[in-house]
Amino acid sequence: MTNLVQRSAFLFFLLLSASCLSAQTNDPDFMQSVGKIYVAVGVILAIFAVIILFLIYLDRKLTKLENQIKDHE
Amino acid sequence: MNMGKEIWNLLRKDLMLELRMGYALSGIFLYVFSTVFIVFASFIQLPNTVWNILFWVVLLFASVNAIVKSFVQESGNRQLYYYSLVNPVSVLLAKMAYNVGLLFLISLLIWAGLAFVGGNPVRDPELFLLAMFLGSSGFAITFTFISAISAKADHNATLLAIMSFPLVIPILMTLVKLSANALGLMNDTGLQKDIILLCAMDGLLLGAALILFPFLWTD
Amino acid sequence: MVYQTWWKALGVVLLVYTFIAGLLIPLKPGISSVHPSNATAGEEVILEIKGYNTFFTQSGAPLRAWLKMDDTHALGASEIEIVDNQHVKARFYFPAFLPDSGRVRDFTLLLDDPFNGTCVLPSAVFITQDSIDPAMGKAQWVNAPIKGLHANSRLSFPFRNILKESIRNTYFHVPLWFSMIFLFLFSVAYSIKYLRTGAHDHDRRAHALAVGGVLFGIMGLVTGAIWAKNTWGAYWSWDVKQNMTAIALLIYFAYFILRGSFEDPEKRARLAAVYNLFAFVALIPLIYVIPRLTDSLHPGSGGNPAFGSDDLDNTMRMVFYPAIIGWTLLGFWIASVVYRIETLRDRVLESY
Repeated sequence: MTNLVQRSAFLFFLLLSASCLSAQTNDPDFMQSVGKIYVAVGVILAIFAVIILFLIYLDRKLTKLENQIKDHE
Repeated sequence: MNMGKEIWNLLRKDLMLELRMGYALSGIFLYVFSTVFIVFASFIQLPNTVWNILFWVVLLFASVNAIVKSFVQESGNRQLYYYSLVNPVSVLLAKMAYNVGLLFLISLLIWAGLAFVGGNPVRDPELFLLAMFLGSSGFAITFTFISAISAKADHNATLLAIMSFPLVIPILMTLVKLSANALGLMNDTGLQKDIILLCAMDGLLLGAALILFPFLWTD
Repeated sequence: MVYQTWWKALGVVLLVYTFIAGLLIPLKPGISSVHPSNATAGEEVILEIKGYNTFFTQSGAPLRAWLKMDDTHALGASEIEIVDNQHVKARFYFPAFLPDSGRVRDFTLLLDDPFNGTCVLPSAVFITQDSIDPAMGKAQWVNAPIKGLHANSRLSFPFRNILKESIRNTYFHVPLWFSMIFLFLFSVAYSIKYLRTGAHDHDRRAHALAVGGVLFGIMGLVTGAIWAKNTWGAYWSWDVKQNMTAIALLIYFAYFILRGSFEDPEKRARLAAVYNLFAFVALIPLIYVIPRLTDSLHPGSGGNPAFGSDDLDNTMRMVFYPAIIGWTLLGFWIASVVYRIETLRDRVLESY
């Protein structure tokens, strides 16, 4: 179950960053358009991505711990 | 026994040990000359800006190699014996004083080596010597203390490098600026401020090392 | 503290406020571009001015425009035509001689009306004079004194020409740095506590806070890189503050590696605490001294690492300070979760 969550979260992050990157490469002025609002959007997405990655790290740590307890029982 | 005498005796002991082993010291000198040789074999023509930075980088790596063995060359039992015999702080101070001298010597050698092969770009030798002295003290204090930590772990050479390089970056940045002035690459009016800053950083690190060392050796 | 809920809830409330206020409050009206941006002295030019967030048709009173050379010299527009809310055409006549001894001189454009307030574009137009004669320039100059400017009283953030909407990153990038510093400070404090008492719990707290601090440092660097790329043109510009954060991260990575190289928990805790303290002392000049001595691209640099009133107005402060508290509380929450997991793991390792 947790494995599935991890994978989907990771995939989600990859898609997110990929969409950001492709939007950037197709149009060099994209980040400068609409009064540079996409710079703020990019920053918030980056924070989101780092927190998600950290959540995955914590999740794996907890899974290991749970397995240890389960093995002992 | 007062502390000054203790430090002096320990210093003499370190020096004797080094001279008796011989190969460690000559290894460092060989390292310096081969590095200088490689630098010139690959650069041939060395611009002064690069000379300035290379000098400090070569010194940085030479110091790591020179200091890494500070706390591992003698066995743990013998060190415990020193600690019971004298004040542990004087052991640290003696090692630091020894390393300051060693690094200053190494930096003189690097200077001589670089000047011999590629000419001497230093315009203001006094300032450069001052930068070299402040630099070797800063490096020696930091590396000696960190080597005391890393000596407790395996792979201590790698650990010493990764733990101490980030710590000496502020010192290194100020040193490069100072020696750029000595080379005439830059004409800074606020030179005093940089010198004071370097002295303050050295003093701060020394103070922290003295306060923290008692927590290190108690095993 | 670790198991209490109120401060976590407070952090969430403050962050929600930060996101809502920080993203929804509009920018002040401003000028995004002027065409043409070059002219020669003695010419009559119609400037096409493009506004941002402006409502020129609702001006309420005649729109006024100036080209300002310095505090005492300004040219007034002879005729202004409002095209639509975002576009205005202004006609200026430049005298044949400027009261200035340079060949090229930059002029600041000002627009003013009661509804939009004053919009400013620094160095909007560059005027080239072929023959230089400051005395003639002074004699010919028809000065239009700038007075009776209106302020925009609606709730809004300042308009900065190079930042535009990305000024909102003040609430999503800058507080991350504050939060990182707070977390590292508390980590150092717990290291001191550990060395004084030897209680293993303090070491776990110091470690967890360092993990939180590193996380915020990474976020600060990533968000800073995105912002820097679109403001200064490069992801990494070797700025003092970027270097400082990078060095702090390197130190704490070394701290984690140091912890990983010991099996004995007592030895690990003691050496890690000593390194944490020593590293913090080495960081002091980097945080407090060097930024004051060197120039930085960051605002408020060169003598004062804090924000000046130019960078942060009162409306921004209303969001910025809660943002700092909110992000810091989030950091402590994350650190407390790490601490609880570590405690649990140690307990599991002990009992089995």
